[in-house]
Amino acid sequence: MASSTSITGLFSRLSLLSRNTTSTATATAAMTSTSTSRLFSTTSSSLARKAPPPAGGSAPKAVRRNRQAPKSENFFRIRTLRRNMFSPAPPPLRMARLRYLRHWTIHRAWQLFRRKQHEAIDKERSRMHAGMYNACEELRKTVGPGSRGEGYLYRVAMEKKGVYGLDGVPIEYARFQTDSPAKEAWNHEWKR
Amino acid sequence: MMAASSRGSRAVRGIFSSSPTICSRCATTRFYSAAAAAEIKASVTDAAPPPPTKSPYPYDIRSGLVLTRPPLLTRTLHPFENAYYFYQKRLEERLNTPFITSIYFKPDTAAQLDWSLKVQERGGTVAKELGTYHGKSSKAWDDELKVGDQLSSQESVLNSLLKDAAARVSDDAEVIAPEDVVPVERPVERLSEADKKNDVRRLDRQMERTLYLVVKGPDGWGFPADVLKDENLHEGAKRVMDQAAGVNMNTWLVGRVPVAHLVQEPVLGKSGEVQKKGQKTFFIKGRIMAGQADLKGNPFGYTDFKWLTREELEKELAPEYFRGVRNMMADR
Repeated sequence: MASSTSITGLFSRLSLLSRNTTSTATATAAMTSTSTSRLFSTTSSSLARKAPPPAGGSAPKAVRRNRQAPKSENFFRIRTLRRNMFSPAPPPLRMARLRYLRHWTIHRAWQLFRRKQHEAIDKERSRMHAGMYNACEELRKTVGPGSRGEGYLYRVAMEKKGVYGLDGVPIEYARFQTDSPAKEAWNHEWKR
Repeated sequence: MMAASSRGSRAVRGIFSSSPTICSRCATTRFYSAAAAAEIKASVTDAAPPPPTKSPYPYDIRSGLVLTRPPLLTRTLHPFENAYYFYQKRLEERLNTPFITSIYFKPDTAAQLDWSLKVQERGGTVAKELGTYHGKSSKAWDDELKVGDQLSSQESVLNSLLKDAAARVSDDAEVIAPEDVVPVERPVERLSEADKKNDVRRLDRQMERTLYLVVKGPDGWGFPADVLKDENLHEGAKRVMDQAAGVNMNTWLVGRVPVAHLVQEPVLGKSGEVQKKGQKTFFIKGRIMAGQADLKGNPFGYTDFKWLTREELEKELAPEYFRGVRNMMADR
């Protein structure tokens, strides 16, 4: 629609020119070319390229039969994908000024919230680490037990042998945290 | 002295095979297993000589166990988190490509009928928990919830998911009458019976939090602990646990490193002689995965036990005791 109006607009200007300069015959010629809407090509439509005749000179019946060749088993799946794969991308979000301001506020609030969470986690970890560090430091200065020398218990505690490895962590008994508990939330009757 | 079970030494052994007498690690490190032998042999370079035995060490060394039950449930989300996630989901509805039914459902199947029925009931919204909202329509700008709208809460998300999960079309592709629809079983409540009765001895209470086992001894509430008898800290902690709380617990000691300690200074006389020995208590952290504590016949005189969260421990324990152990407790 838009293209046709622009073409007519172009030719109306052209016809104005021609009305000023030349006779009405050229104007009518311009009008006819408008109706066929062939702007840049001067060849007539009768000379346009046609499909070449079939090589074997076979009848169009045979062509139709070829079209109904057996489809692959994935034909419909592929057709669905081909139809929908190239769906246009949705337009970007557009927000008015106050709406965008609200969006920005929400974003900043979220960033602040995350920041506080991260800081809380950092603080918690360093607190737990400090607790372990202090305990280990005290242990290092401890003599004993019995006839053992200073720092013996500390050296044992630092020993990593057997801590890691395939049976180091009993993951077969562990349970993920879930949104809702199991039907029997805890097995109180477990016996060794 | 070669520490034969260590993987690292096995890898290094090939490199140091040219020096047949001793490996570099053994020459610099003292092993606890060899410490007693080192005192006799004194061939190992920096094995410290035994401390002068002029006065006994004025502390009793005690090993304790902080037995924790890890959280069983995820944390409850902050209302702001719920609202933010809801907001992001609606923005995503505005930005995503449309849901193409024919990709996911074969035409005229029961699944397709079921899906289209549910979507129709939601007013054409594909997402299950977003209310009636069309991200592609001219009303797409209206994506914000009013203040006080409960649509973004966990409860309403759960309800909408449960409603969507119930089958509405039978296998014969017939619409099931509303009274015959079998609702999906609701997940178990996050608040357990023990929470409602405030039963502090059960382990299925306070499932979002870490619980700690405390016992009531002659000195009041505290973690189970006992004086070491020529053993290491983690062996002592294991022994204390087995003796105090019974063997019917599936537990795991997280490591050999103490996570907390308490020091009680000795009482000294005028000339520096020890009138009353002090105590150094080191706590090892353990986790319980099944079972329950049982104090019957314990040799430490414990009479009662509780599974408490950190806040409850703060009320129950003596202030200086809690100050010593609070650093090992996680926020949750």
